[in-house]
Amino acid sequence: MSRRRPDRRCLLATLALIAISPTARAAEGDVLVRAGTVETVESGPLRPGAVLISGGTIAQVSAEIEPPEGAEVIDLGEDATLMPGLVDADLPGGVTGPAVEETREITPTFSPLPAVDWSSRAFLEALAGGTTTGAIVPSSENVIPGLAVVVKTAGEEQSDRVVSRDAGLVITVASDPASRNRSRTRPDSIYVRQPTNRMGVVGLLRESFARAARGADPDPDTTSPAAGDPYEPLREAMAGRRSVLAISRTDFDMLTVLRLAGEFGYAPVVYGGHEAYKVAEPLASSRVPVVLGALRVDRPFGPEGTELIWNVAGILHEAGVSVSLSGGDLLDQARFASRFGLPREAALRAITIEPARVLGVDGRVGSISPGKDADLVALDGDPLEFTTAVRWTMVDGAIRFPKPDPSQQED
Amino acid sequence: MATNHPIMRLASVAALALLPAVAATGQDQLAITGGRVVPVVGDPIENGIVLIRGGTIQAVGTDLEIPIEAKVIDASGKVVLPGFVEPHSPEPLVQPNEVNPNVPFVTVVDAIDPNATYFEDARRNGVTTVHAIPGNNTMFGGKSAVVKTSGTFAEDMILKRDAALKLSLRPSGSSSRMSHLSRLRRELDETKRYMKTLEEKRKEDQDAQAQADDDREEPDDESAPRQEEDEDEEPDRDSDSSTPDPAEPDPQREAMVRLLKGELTAFIYCELAMDVPQALRLIDDYGLDAVLILGRDCHKAVGLLAGREIPVILDPSLVFWETDPRTDKDELVVLPRIYREAGVPITFQTAGGSSVSAATIGPNYLWFQAATAVKYGMPIEEAIEALTLRPARLLKIDEFVGSIEEGKDADLIILTGDPLRLGTWVDTTIIDGRVVYRRDEDSRLKELLRPSISERGEP
Repeated sequence: MSRRRPDRRCLLATLALIAISPTARAAEGDVLVRAGTVETVESGPLRPGAVLISGGTIAQVSAEIEPPEGAEVIDLGEDATLMPGLVDADLPGGVTGPAVEETREITPTFSPLPAVDWSSRAFLEALAGGTTTGAIVPSSENVIPGLAVVVKTAGEEQSDRVVSRDAGLVITVASDPASRNRSRTRPDSIYVRQPTNRMGVVGLLRESFARAARGADPDPDTTSPAAGDPYEPLREAMAGRRSVLAISRTDFDMLTVLRLAGEFGYAPVVYGGHEAYKVAEPLASSRVPVVLGALRVDRPFGPEGTELIWNVAGILHEAGVSVSLSGGDLLDQARFASRFGLPREAALRAITIEPARVLGVDGRVGSISPGKDADLVALDGDPLEFTTAVRWTMVDGAIRFPKPDPSQQED
Repeated sequence: MATNHPIMRLASVAALALLPAVAATGQDQLAITGGRVVPVVGDPIENGIVLIRGGTIQAVGTDLEIPIEAKVIDASGKVVLPGFVEPHSPEPLVQPNEVNPNVPFVTVVDAIDPNATYFEDARRNGVTTVHAIPGNNTMFGGKSAVVKTSGTFAEDMILKRDAALKLSLRPSGSSSRMSHLSRLRRELDETKRYMKTLEEKRKEDQDAQAQADDDREEPDDESAPRQEEDEDEEPDRDSDSSTPDPAEPDPQREAMVRLLKGELTAFIYCELAMDVPQALRLIDDYGLDAVLILGRDCHKAVGLLAGREIPVILDPSLVFWETDPRTDKDELVVLPRIYREAGVPITFQTAGGSSVSAATIGPNYLWFQAATAVKYGMPIEEAIEALTLRPARLLKIDEFVGSIEEGKDADLIILTGDPLRLGTWVDTTIIDGRVVYRRDEDSRLKELLRPSISERGEP
């Protein structure tokens, strides 16, 4: 990728020379951003640093870059920091209505993409907070709710905003799918759903993976006949071609995730992870990344009333677990995680490259390196200070916050 | 330091020996040395000394003699600030709102739970004084109290009893705004009439009495001079009770009467911008001494507040998104910026457990609210003032708290670094000269952060 880039820039430059309209040149032209600090995330901070953007892609990253002819130069100043656009592995609010199809418990082929409200305020809020990429994760009411998709928080065309249509198979290893379900005392009710407790949820998971493994026909009780072969995503996960995003919050549920992964040979990622600090060692030795849900400080949280620890992220990091922070307001989350014990570098990684890796989109986003999408956040100061504001957020080379593109409003 | 010199010590001992009557016991004396003292009034003092005796700040400076029997707290490399003052919080109460919307006669002193987690969090986060006040659900919510954040019994914690009366312009229950406001005015008008009849009755009685025994001195004129000394728990009109009076003051109305006399500050909650002009009209019509608690929406009425010099307390959500109902266009609203640009001095409150939680935990902390204001342009000095002296003035307790000055209560916090910085924690909290919080003894904090910060560091 990075080798192809200069060629493309030459081509663009040539095009720019022969272009008649100067506005078209400005839109497509090179942009050089200078800042007192550039947090590249993967190759350390540059002080000062400069990033050259060409055609919506990062072309060059260095301490000092001579601006190419005709390039727009943005000098952020000595105190400012430029960092990669943040990646939220569980972006809240992108979907209108419930984020899962509840008529069946096993819906592995279902994607939330048709339900995404592209002009939702959730995207603008994320953008204002520096988040440029977010995963839409089907919610935990189903045992296997479907596939996670990854989208940009801004962009001209909806199709351009899709980064990944398949960022992992979501499974629920918690009692959420069993909540409100009753045993089949009233067989006439259409609201009969199978699992009524945690055992039932895990049982259904195991049964589905076992059926998928031996090529059995889909279970008509739990799967939807209209959705193609529901077990195909499961087989792909077992073949190592797709990660499994396992929603689980308590320590014993996370051990179940590890056990099931061992039985069926897939690579899991823990989503939620409130009590992951209790099982940090097994998670580390199984190399299972953890995507932490938004932290609370005042009382035990979640449906299980999981025990409250402020430094979950720090403990996991210390044990060698890859930690991502998720659930909105990523900068403040990283700040609090850092205040509570997560080292600075890990806190920055937890909102950029770590979630990008978990979602399999680290080839495009998550760090400032040549060849990646020009998704950048300009900050007034140190990203890990509560007093630092986002100056602007850039997606694919265009500043989308605080000046939202008019075309976005028309969507 | 010069004062550590043995001769100086001897000198101080000698000096104390000469003045045995005023010498306080060693336990009462405290010296905080070596830190950067931010007194809020005046410039910060590098390597400053704060001397405390009997719960009061005795001296602040650099070249002070430390009494030999004073307990010394070394604050080298740390920052000493006055304790923070939270100007409005229902969190110390077991139940923030009364069910009956018209209860001006109740007092929060009866509902303050010294064991509420609020107080523990307050000490850990540098809040030493809080205005405990009923929530926003009641029309006349009751009398508030300013309390220190440490104590075993509510009574021990009180700095100012009957600090204010809570009024809410948000309709309680299912009533409409029209009926809520008319009921509210009716209550105030009724109180006015009651005061008038009471006054007439008293005049009649006085005239009758004056006629009966004319060798009596000049009749006691009103209760005006007594207003000043309101710390007494008794309603001041009790002094009249010696005479058999058919129109005996109704204790249920006492708070409302004092509100209309301007003795009790009205803390008026405005939910929407449309409530702000109503609040201002109430203030003008009834001559109220008032503080406004402004809901998120009220920023649209900021023009009405500019130049009015009515103190305001902002909603806990300082930054939020608003959608235009017609165009569906979303806009980021930054409350501290809007009020600052209009020239309205602001103070903050925390979100607390009872309110709808924000995406992050920040608004649970008073210092975070100030940091947010700084993020959007408030100078740090002003932010510190908005955490200390400004709310103290708003509560009319600035003669006791809000800055590090001689004669004020020894409510101090020692921070591990500069205020509002990410890595800065409260190291020590001192209330009335007593150490009420030490981070290295905060077992709950250690548990919540385990094991990275506190325990792993030591070999």
